[in-house]
Amino acid sequence: MSKKFTVSRRAFLRTAGVGGGALVFGSYLTPSLQAQGLIQNLINGFPVPGIPIVALKVNGDVVIITHRPEMGQGIRSSLAAVFADEMEADWKRVTLKQADADSKKFAVVFPEPVPADYTSLPFPYEAITKTIQPKVQYLIAPEGSQFTDSSRSMTAYFQVMRLFGAGIRLTMIRVAAKKWGVDEKDCRAEKHRVYGPNGHSSDYRWLLLGAMKQTAPTYEEISNALKKKEQWRYIGNGKEPMPFYDALDMVRGTTVYGADVDVPGMLTAMIERCPVANGALLTYDPAPAMAVAGVRAVLPIYPPGVRGGGVGAAFHPHAGVAVIATNTWAAWQGRRALRPTIRWDLGPHATYDSDAFRKELEASTSNPGTTVRKLNDVDDAFAQGGDTMDAHYYVPHLAQTPMEPPVAVALFQGGRMEVWCPTQNPDGAQQLAGQVVLGLSDAQMADDTFADKAREAATVHVTFLGGGFGRKSKPDYVVEAAILAKQMPGVPIRVQWTREDDVKFSYYNAASSQYLKASLGADKRPTALLQRSALTSFFGTLFPNSSTYTTPPLTPSDLEFWRQARLGKYGGGEYPYASGIERAQGLEDMPYDVPNIRLENCKAENHIRVGWMRSVANVYHAFAINSFAGELAIAAGRDQKDYLLDLIGKDRILDEKTFTGQAVERYRNNELPLAAIEVPVVKGGKVNQVVAGFPPDTSRLRAVINQVAQESDWNNKVAKYKNMKGRGLGIAAHRSFLSYVAVVADVSLGDENELTINDIYATIHCGLAVNRDRVLAQMEGGVVYGLSMALLNEITVKNGAVVQNNFDDYPVVRMYQTPRIHVSIVDSDEAPTGVGEPPTPAVAPALANAIAAAGGPRIREMPLAKPTADEAKQANKVVFV
Amino acid sequence: MSVFQLNVNGQWHAVNVDGNMPLLWALRDILGLKGTKFGCGVAQCGACTVHLDGRAARSCITDVGVACLSKITTIEGLSYDGSHPCQKMWVELGVPQCGFCQPGQIMTAAALLAEHPNADDAQIDAYMSGNICRCGTYPRIKDAIRKLAGRATS
Repeated sequence: MSKKFTVSRRAFLRTAGVGGGALVFGSYLTPSLQAQGLIQNLINGFPVPGIPIVALKVNGDVVIITHRPEMGQGIRSSLAAVFADEMEADWKRVTLKQADADSKKFAVVFPEPVPADYTSLPFPYEAITKTIQPKVQYLIAPEGSQFTDSSRSMTAYFQVMRLFGAGIRLTMIRVAAKKWGVDEKDCRAEKHRVYGPNGHSSDYRWLLLGAMKQTAPTYEEISNALKKKEQWRYIGNGKEPMPFYDALDMVRGTTVYGADVDVPGMLTAMIERCPVANGALLTYDPAPAMAVAGVRAVLPIYPPGVRGGGVGAAFHPHAGVAVIATNTWAAWQGRRALRPTIRWDLGPHATYDSDAFRKELEASTSNPGTTVRKLNDVDDAFAQGGDTMDAHYYVPHLAQTPMEPPVAVALFQGGRMEVWCPTQNPDGAQQLAGQVVLGLSDAQMADDTFADKAREAATVHVTFLGGGFGRKSKPDYVVEAAILAKQMPGVPIRVQWTREDDVKFSYYNAASSQYLKASLGADKRPTALLQRSALTSFFGTLFPNSSTYTTPPLTPSDLEFWRQARLGKYGGGEYPYASGIERAQGLEDMPYDVPNIRLENCKAENHIRVGWMRSVANVYHAFAINSFAGELAIAAGRDQKDYLLDLIGKDRILDEKTFTGQAVERYRNNELPLAAIEVPVVKGGKVNQVVAGFPPDTSRLRAVINQVAQESDWNNKVAKYKNMKGRGLGIAAHRSFLSYVAVVADVSLGDENELTINDIYATIHCGLAVNRDRVLAQMEGGVVYGLSMALLNEITVKNGAVVQNNFDDYPVVRMYQTPRIHVSIVDSDEAPTGVGEPPTPAVAPALANAIAAAGGPRIREMPLAKPTADEAKQANKVVFV
Repeated sequence: MSVFQLNVNGQWHAVNVDGNMPLLWALRDILGLKGTKFGCGVAQCGACTVHLDGRAARSCITDVGVACLSKITTIEGLSYDGSHPCQKMWVELGVPQCGFCQPGQIMTAAALLAEHPNADDAQIDAYMSGNICRCGTYPRIKDAIRKLAGRATS
């Protein structure tokens, strides 16, 4: 249970670097200071040693450095407001500044050093040994400090932001108390002012110089100074609404996204890419493109014959040829002229066909895979005869399609690369841009020394993201810009993707086949449950697995090197099987209380780039298990919601013991600990450092089901709809990214199974809802995103190339298709958990269950709908236009 | 290449481009008005919506040679300070998430309300369904327009 999220008792800020007594200006006002640095600091604010997310101006104004990329989740304002709340900063005097890529700067060490001989640090902290500097143990490792993924920003940084803010507030109070000769206990801070007894008060700005000489408070003091819940101004929407710093710019159109960056002298590149993964350029003729007005250059991404990005090539871009011009339209026209002149070597995946591959996946789940979790013996239970039910479920490849297609600007100058880009992965973008500058191999980059050199060779400015959804975790478009910029030193190059490029060259969510089988007892409850999961793991794309996919071809020892690298990273496992991360997203943590369980990981090769998309492996795992629960309930003639609660069983924790007892090799809990952990301090500390744990907790899953049932008036509606033709309710519930979401869908079906979604109800348990309005916004938006996945999204592949092009043939939900959406939050004061992705997975199975309950077909594949009655009938789906 | 006179946000600009260059790129790349966004290039998503003589139009498929016949308004010209009723309501209800599609959404909504000040739900759906939002802000956009149209929100 995540009861605590306190972190030791000692000098947090001191060990974090605040130490030496100088909180505010540090050494920056010493005579030796260079004038230029001083001017910079006067403009941008003075850095606060040990607190990388803030700078203070001499007038007391606060610059909060927002280190996590903003893509619509509202994290810029949310984390800044947590900090400002604890600091008692006046929000009117706060400005936000987006940080460049600097993953080490924003990493957080354990407040107290971990003893050098302390070896029993549990997961995930043991897993980041490679990043441990001597005697430094990270609470948040550099590789995760800016990587905005897995709905982890608030979970990771909530307490850290509070401590940073409270430390500054406490210091201000101390300085004021000393100045007035009063007891600090008689002073308090409110909105940039310290108030003392006898009518004293002072703005923070008059305390800055005093703070410079003030010894930094100890961790214990800061910890004790943290506000109580009832004192919060913004957190949990205490007294005032959470600020939304960027809203006004966004509605004025002045927010700068990646595509809006304008560097003087910039040229725009459009790239014609090899349509198949791991293909190579053979020949091309630049002349027709060069004849287009405004075209300045035609340059290949790789030399002819060199295999480009694809399976096993991580973030290296596809082979391609760029047309570089004075404006976007000229580049586009040039690209059109170039296209017919290119000949590709389509490479090893030129026959990949997603329909044929689906049969391969289903064959894979029709046979035993590798057991990843096992409780007692399902085979025994199946052999005992009696009723069984089984079903195959299928989810196709999906593309994220953020509103802003990928784009990046790069300038190569003085041996360094400067990049402006919308990215969820600033550190990855920086390393890759540096890799291009230095010409390092992937194997070299696996060595920290080279990775650091690469980081030093590139600056990455992070812009706003016009949506991310996982697409912008993969910086292939940044690499394209860097490759082109390196060929044209001194000229800023903007690589602009079209929507067609985005649809055809995504890192697709895995295609997946899921097989479920249950034997049923007399009470129609499962006595045994078998689940087989085959999914095209993104680890197959991230780590090389074939000698023939790259140039030069990998040797057996190279392949063994990468095999070991994959095994050692995030429980990557063997190719072609699901990684530990994917297994932990709804397979290994399968929550149903069944006496015999076996969960299997089945083979699935990569033939196209696979990445991740909002809620990732939870998409197919949640769809399969919740649909199956719905099928069991309907077959048993039971109420879906009651049956689901019954399946989940009594309140319990799936902890390390449960998992190891059921043969899970290592449950990767969104890379956070299952149980609260206590880490001893080096010397003299009486109290260990405690970090929250986040185990799968069925009481929270039940809580969201019960609340959503209440919100949707489930019991009454079920009774009412029983006598109505073509009306039904469906429910699904799923834990992902440490949060719990239940969804109820209320649907109507016409005579030809035309689907109308009347209402969607969704409830989340995300611990403390720090920014309630943004949690609600993410819930609303996550449901809409889930509706697109459930009803419309499907990527198919023919001859190795993606068939779909744009929003006409890869449709997404529009306003007229959006039902009434009712969202709610389970009240909780526990440590905050993820919000961006959890709303999505339960939408599709809730709809599938509702359609079946309304008398429609049981649909076992996504998308659930077809656009015409004929197509729907043939596919046994519903009609949704 | 020819010179076209574009009236954008009340100011005349001479642009020397191909007559078939979409207005979107003339606005963004030539005039530096970046509030109008590129989302699809084929009039599917509405991120590039501007007003031509007060009516919503997709600038990604409107040639400069055609656009020069109309008065063009972009998000920058809707108001300079975010004071248009749509912009104010968008902020009040916390509509934006990533914000990328919102200039286009607002331009469409402003044209809708100019034409139908008391727009009903059917009119809202009809007008707004040409604008895609992948963050899924539709419920709040709809509420914002309902409020502006003097109707009850959901």
